[in-house]
Amino acid sequence: MAELIALRDIVKVYGTTVQTTALRGISLSMPAGEYTALIGRSGSGKSTLLHIIGTLDRPTSGTMRVDGRDVFALDDDGLAAFRSRTIGFVFQFHHLLPEFTAFENVLLPFRAAHGRATAAAEKRARNLLERVGVSDRMNNKSTNLSGGQQQRVAIARALINEPRLILADEPTGNLDTESSEAIKALLREINRENGTTFLIVTHDRHVAAGCDRVIEIDDGGILRDFRPADGTPDETWAALAPCECRERRSGDLRPAPTRP
Amino acid sequence: MFDVFVAFRFLREGRAQTLLILTGIILGIAVQVFLNSLIVGLQSSLVARTVGSAPHITGTIPDLEPSAVLPPDPETRTISRVITNEGSVKPIRDGDTIVAQLEKLGFFTVILPVARGSGFILQGQKTLPVSLRGSDLEGADRLYDIRRRLTAGRYEVGADGVLIGKDLAAKLRISVGSTIRLSTPGGDDDLFRVNGLFDLENQAVNETWILMSLPRVQSLFRLDRGLTEIELQAEDVFTAERKAADLRAGFPSVRWRSWEETNASLLTALQSQSSSSYMIQLFVLLSVTLGIASVLAVSVVQKSRQIGILKAVGTLTRHVGRIFVIQGAVLGFLGSLLGVAAGWGLILMFQAARSADPSSFPISVSFGAAALSVGVATAAGTLAAFLPSRRASRLNPIEVIRNG
Repeated sequence: MAELIALRDIVKVYGTTVQTTALRGISLSMPAGEYTALIGRSGSGKSTLLHIIGTLDRPTSGTMRVDGRDVFALDDDGLAAFRSRTIGFVFQFHHLLPEFTAFENVLLPFRAAHGRATAAAEKRARNLLERVGVSDRMNNKSTNLSGGQQQRVAIARALINEPRLILADEPTGNLDTESSEAIKALLREINRENGTTFLIVTHDRHVAAGCDRVIEIDDGGILRDFRPADGTPDETWAALAPCECRERRSGDLRPAPTRP
Repeated sequence: MFDVFVAFRFLREGRAQTLLILTGIILGIAVQVFLNSLIVGLQSSLVARTVGSAPHITGTIPDLEPSAVLPPDPETRTISRVITNEGSVKPIRDGDTIVAQLEKLGFFTVILPVARGSGFILQGQKTLPVSLRGSDLEGADRLYDIRRRLTAGRYEVGADGVLIGKDLAAKLRISVGSTIRLSTPGGDDDLFRVNGLFDLENQAVNETWILMSLPRVQSLFRLDRGLTEIELQAEDVFTAERKAADLRAGFPSVRWRSWEETNASLLTALQSQSSSSYMIQLFVLLSVTLGIASVLAVSVVQKSRQIGILKAVGTLTRHVGRIFVIQGAVLGFLGSLLGVAAGWGLILMFQAARSADPSSFPISVSFGAAALSVGVATAAGTLAAFLPSRRASRLNPIEVIRNG
């Protein structure tokens, strides 16, 4: 698979007088079409990494190439344009705009990029809403949708500009089990059908276990980077356990294979 | 396009807040428009009453200083006689030439050559001082609007006919058709027939003015076809002083006085009235601007989540800022438009309430003033949005996304 994203020595330091290092030199390569989970404890730096890959934040040092292009060389407006064309976001708290209907929310990234919605874009928005299963609610204000429905709309919104990469921050974090399963399946389906690359930040072992690849961040660095398919289900399950459990059961934990 | 779309939606969905600030702007602008129209209406009515039916510029012969033949001296017990020139009438030199030249200028709408002198009306036992005015009747009508205000008789004088004020007629118990005797200080006198009575809504005029033909006054006062006054009216009353200055330079032998010069205290009053009205309007506008600014500042905080998402999905920083500038401009424009309408409504109500009052004066909203109000309020709204918009465009989307 062709390389979509290449991170090299990404360092992020917050603060000027009291400095906190959130990321200490992360290098990472993501091929196009890969479905990757990003896991790690709270404060490990995984959200910071997601924001940098999403170009919402700039690294203190290091480069990111997307399709070979050094994106942080762009100015803020250039980044915004790049973001709207290339990246779709799905957030934990859905983050729909309550002033707009589901349909309008889906079209927002298109309008942000092109000014007005074309007939083709509107058709795509309708198709996407149908695809995620909320076409019957498309004219509802987002405040009149359930949590699961809002997240489906958010996924449709992330897809409207046909991005190469979708970044999802705890997409199932705020949902009940049933909705959570449905969303998980939906994201995977989109990945398989469209070949869209996914990077999903999650605390949910079920989500991580279903990914092609799992990257675990700890203390600002990559702790492990492995493919669940390479181990037995039990091994994978154990590897995805919260760190504190893992330390107790370290006897039965075979180190996961780390990719170069 | 996108920024306009989002701005309008934010305004529409922020119903209560939008309505509240709109009401504030509407009230402010309504008061501003009402006040402005009231002052303008009052002032133009005052000016119209002062000079509407009066000359804007009057040219006369320069005053002759009263002079004594010998200076009075108590030591030598000199008997001195002071010549005041009162009653003696001297014509303007080259009056006809000046009138001809003024007509060529084409600037003045009315040019009225007048011969005037003080005299007396003798009726039975009574002798009353009067002012004998000789001029072309048509011209006099255009200047003083007399024909319409004739209360009896015909608007014509002929050779020996006169028009007199209704108050003078009442005093002397005379009416249309009566014969009156008029005399000059020089001792000449003659008989005249009263052709009509007028009411120029000014007691002094109604009691003293006697209108007759120009040649009749000229011969009565032995003016040898000379003029004593040239009365002028221009299109715009407020150009009078400027024009008078030109005339003073062009025709120095005549003493030119503008209505502005003779009504200086009225003008001062009008000016201070105007400046206090401008002051009030300025503060109204200032509070409208501050109102818009504070509502938008609150809105930026309330909508920080939305701003963060808009930025995350690729909205350019300058478009985010513009969303709030557009809201400010729309609030200013819409509010002032409705405010002008409300102000106009207030004026109509005010007029209706006062229609029975004879001292009421017409007020109207000038289109220019209304457009200016809308323009200034829209600009103020845009300006008010400046700080909130800068704050919105600086908002970091990560803060919002991280904290939900």
